[in-house]
Parts: sequence; C-alpha cells; structure tokens
Amino acid sequence: MSSVIAVNKLKKYYKVHQKEPGLTGSIKSLFSRKYYDAKAVDGVSFDIDEGELVGFIGPNGAGKTTTLKVLSGLLYPTFGHVSVLGYTPWERKPEFQKQFSLVMGQKNQLWWDLPAIESFILNKEIYEVPDAQYKKTLDELVELLEVADILKVQVRKLSLGQRMKMELIAALIHSPRILFLDEPTIGLDVVMQKKMRDFIKEYNRRYTATVILTSHYMDDVKELCKRIIIIDKGKILFDGALDEIIKKFATHKLLTVVFGKKVEESDLAAIGQIKEFEFPKAVISVKRSTASLAAAELLQNFPVADLNIEEPQIEDIIREVFTGRDLA
Amino acid sequence: MKKYLTVFGLSFQNEFTYRLNFILWRFRNVLRVLMTFFLWNSIFSQNRIAFGYSREQMMAYVFLVLVITAFVSSAPSNDNIGGEIANGDLSNYLTKPISYMKYWLTRDWSSKLLNLLFAFGEISLLYFWLRPQLIINSSPGSVVIGVLLCVSAALIYFLVTKLAVMVAFWIPENTWGLMFSFLVLFEVLSGAIFPLDVLPTLGSKLLQFTPFPYMIYYPIAVMVGKLSPAQGLRILLQSLVWLGVGIWLVNKMWKSGLKTYSATGR
Repeated sequence: MSSVIAVNKLKKYYKVHQKEPGLTGSIKSLFSRKYYDAKAVDGVSFDIDEGELVGFIGPNGAGKTTTLKVLSGLLYPTFGHVSVLGYTPWERKPEFQKQFSLVMGQKNQLWWDLPAIESFILNKEIYEVPDAQYKKTLDELVELLEVADILKVQVRKLSLGQRMKMELIAALIHSPRILFLDEPTIGLDVVMQKKMRDFIKEYNRRYTATVILTSHYMDDVKELCKRIIIIDKGKILFDGALDEIIKKFATHKLLTVVFGKKVEESDLAAIGQIKEFEFPKAVISVKRSTASLAAAELLQNFPVADLNIEEPQIEDIIREVFTGRDLA
Repeated sequence: MKKYLTVFGLSFQNEFTYRLNFILWRFRNVLRVLMTFFLWNSIFSQNRIAFGYSREQMMAYVFLVLVITAFVSSAPSNDNIGGEIANGDLSNYLTKPISYMKYWLTRDWSSKLLNLLFAFGEISLLYFWLRPQLIINSSPGSVVIGVLLCVSAALIYFLVTKLAVMVAFWIPENTWGLMFSFLVLFEVLSGAIFPLDVLPTLGSKLLQFTPFPYMIYYPIAVMVGKLSPAQGLRILLQSLVWLGVGIWLVNKMWKSGLKTYSATGR
C-alpha cells in the first residue's frame, strides 16, 4: 500500500495579538499592538496509507484541527512539506478538491432555508458528478443513514442529529477518497454517536476510503481507529496502534479488590496507592513490575473475596500523558 | 458553468423564504423614489427649469433611479461575505471546486433579476398613480450604451463593495463599518438621490475621478439623453477602466486575504 498523505516537519504559527484588559487596554491596542507567535503546529510528521482510519486526539488547542485545515488546503503552512494524493493542498486544484471532503461537526454547509436535497443537487453540480453516479451514491447513503423521509424538509426544521446525517451526505456525494472528520459526533446523543460511528466504519470498509478523525470522545477513537496519533501543544506525542499506548505509557496496573470482612484503609497503604476505597471495594494502583507480588500480598494478609488485575482505562492514560504526570 | 446556473436557481428560491425582508427592502426603494419625486415636484412648482433640468427630464431621472438601483445595488453578497470570512464559513467554499467570488456574483445576479422584476411592477404602479410627465430623449444607440453602462455599473458596485467587506480578513470584528460608510457615500455621490450635474461644477468635476458616478448617474444620463451617444461611448470606456482596476484590486486583496485567513470559529 502506498501512502496517500505525507506530512513532513509541518509547522503552522499564528500571529496573535495580545490585548491588555479593560478600556485603557483597548485604546492602547489601537496604536501599538503586541504580537506573539502561537505555535499551533510545531514540527509534525506522519504518513497515512490508503484505506487507513486514523484518530487524532489531543486536548483543545493541541493542533489537531489546524493540521486538518492544512491538509484540506484552507491554511498555508509556515514551514514544512505536505502532500495529499500527490497534490499540494493549498494550491486548491479542482482535481484534488474532487477527491476529498472536510466535515466539521460545528460548521454546516447546507442551505439553511431549503430542503437538504437542494444542497445535494448543488454539490453534485459543483463536483461535476455524473447523473447515474449521483443517483446511486445518494440512494446508498440515504439507505445507510435512514433519512429517506426527511430529504425534502427544510434544513432549519431538522434536529441536530438529522442535520449531521445530511451534512455527511452532502460531504460524500462526490465519493471522496479521503475524508477529514473534525468532531463528527459533537453534540450528538449516545444513540446518534453510535450510529455515526457505525456509518464511518462502514464507509471506510466499503469504499476503502482513507479517514482522519478528530474527537474528544475516546469511544469514537476506541471503536473506530486502529491507529491513533496523539498531539499536544503542536507536537506528536504518540503515533501507533491503540494497544501500544498501554505498553508505552502505562507504568502501573490497577488491582480491584472486594473484601469479605472489614478492612482499615490505612492498612492498605503499604500495598500501593489507593485510588478508591468504599467498603467492601478498593482500587489500588501498583507498579507493573510488582503487580503480581502485590496481589499475592493482598491474598495472604487480607480477607479477599474477589481480586482483579486490570490495565488502567485508556482515557486515564491519555489524560496522564497530557498533564505530563507519572501514572500513579 | 452548470454549477453556477444551479447556484442561480437555488438563490432565487432562497430569496422567497425571506419574504418580509424582501418586501421591506422594496418598500425602502419605493419610499426613496416618492421622497425625491415630491421634493422635485415642489421645486418645479416655482420654476420651469431648475439646475438645467426641466420638470419632465427630472421626473424621468427619478423614475429610472428606481430601476437602476434595483439592478445595481441588489447584492446579498454584501451582507454575507464579511461574516463568512470572520466566522470561518468561508472554509466550506474553499475546499470545493468552485470560485467563491463567482459564487456570490451569481447569487447577486439572481437577486438582481428578482428585484428588477419587482421594480418594473412598482414603477408601473407609481406611474399610474402619480401620472408624471416624462421626457426621455434618447436614441436606440444611447439605450444600448446605457444598458452596457448598467452592466458595468453593477460589476463596479460588486467590486467596490467586495473591497470593503474583505477587510474582515484583517479585522474580523469590524465587518460592517466600512461597508456602511460606503453605502452612505454611495447614496449621495452616485446620483441615487439627485443627478450629479446639479452639484457645483467643481464638485461634479472631482466626482468624475471616482467610481461613484459610474454606478448610477452616467447610465441614467446616457439613457435619458442628457449625454449624447458619443459622450456615452467615452464614458463606457472609462467605466471599463474602472472595472479593470476593480478586478485587479479585488484579486490582489483576495489573494493576500487568504494568506492571513485562519479558518477560525470552531
């Protein structure tokens, strides 16, 4: 498989103007403005192969969206080399634009006052999709997303979930080979989130489309992406398979114990760090290397009814990575 | 070009969803004609000739203003582009194989068609109500040149207003200020309220070096025969020069705007 996206040492700095608080600050900023460089993306490199489904995760302002914007040609980079399908995105060549789509969960492209079907027809013309292909694609998407009955309803009358489905159809009507999804499930209820995920997975499988997805919801990433890229402060902290995160960053394991008889919390402190204690249940964090030893000690010295050794939750690991603290 | 035809059709449909808005906008235009009509009417109740115009010539001017402004200054792009740049909706267009400026130009022309249809209806009603005496002193040649001037006027108006709204690339929090100033200047200096040759000679001479008279005054002056076809042809050429300058400036500003665009708002 060949790589369809190649990013090399990408940097994007913004000039940001700083304003002192208050009215005097406002007046001062009329005459002299202090600028500083905000490093939204600071030397990022990665390659993505055709058909991959990659998750970008990171806290707010980490540089995920900025990276997507550079990849889709909205922003000119400050430094670095980017190639998507062999094109330089910010040249905005029509042949390139016909092969990808960018969906932002918080932006809509549909005409607000008209039924969604009108926007689909417009996109068909903009992307110059032949009639037969348009009909086939639309039928498939409408069936997959179950929206046949609301195609002719004014967009403003649709619920958020319904609208998001329509946004997806509008973005996919030209059968893009690459899909950039920025927070596609934001604001949706859990049922809709699940449906959206199933759809993205199915789309990726059926058309071997390459998908890059950013999300705040770990569930999106866990369920969809084999590979994830963790970004923070404009730099890549991790790029690899989901389960490797655990190997790489999890220094501890969690022992969940249920006691048969009363136990003092203070007695447990010798075993490891107590994360939770609510009789009869306790969760204790111990170093990976000593996990089995600690378990043995618990079984020997305490009235244990049940014992579980677990990996920490992936969310917790990632949170710890971001806050830069050791997992304890 | 089929994509722009589709945009044209959709935009036309879309205008109908804002019925009240549209009706109020038309009402404003009719009101302006009525105001200027009664103003000139009272001036001409004292004089046979004022500012070199006879009553009939002036009435013809006032009535044509209604049609020409409907055509030249109907431009939904003015209300939308600044906001779309400032809040990042521009991104929706930039990732697609479509030209943003042509997209909005198409939507403007769709709106112009609708407004023009209404303006013809309004002018017929006003004509039967007010029964003004009009003199339109023009040859077929001046009508043709006048129409060409109108098309050029609409394009110059588009370009000048785009220069004003594109300021949003650099000052996103102030998308309306410049536009508003322009609209005020436009009302007075383009000839939408009075023909510009009623101004003192120096004033109307100076105005010739701005794009304003090319947007309303000259097209009407040629059409009603105030200026000869030969003069009209010369003005058409000058108008095309302004058009060229406008296209050049808008392109330059657009390109450098995109360099600073940060696709914000998410």
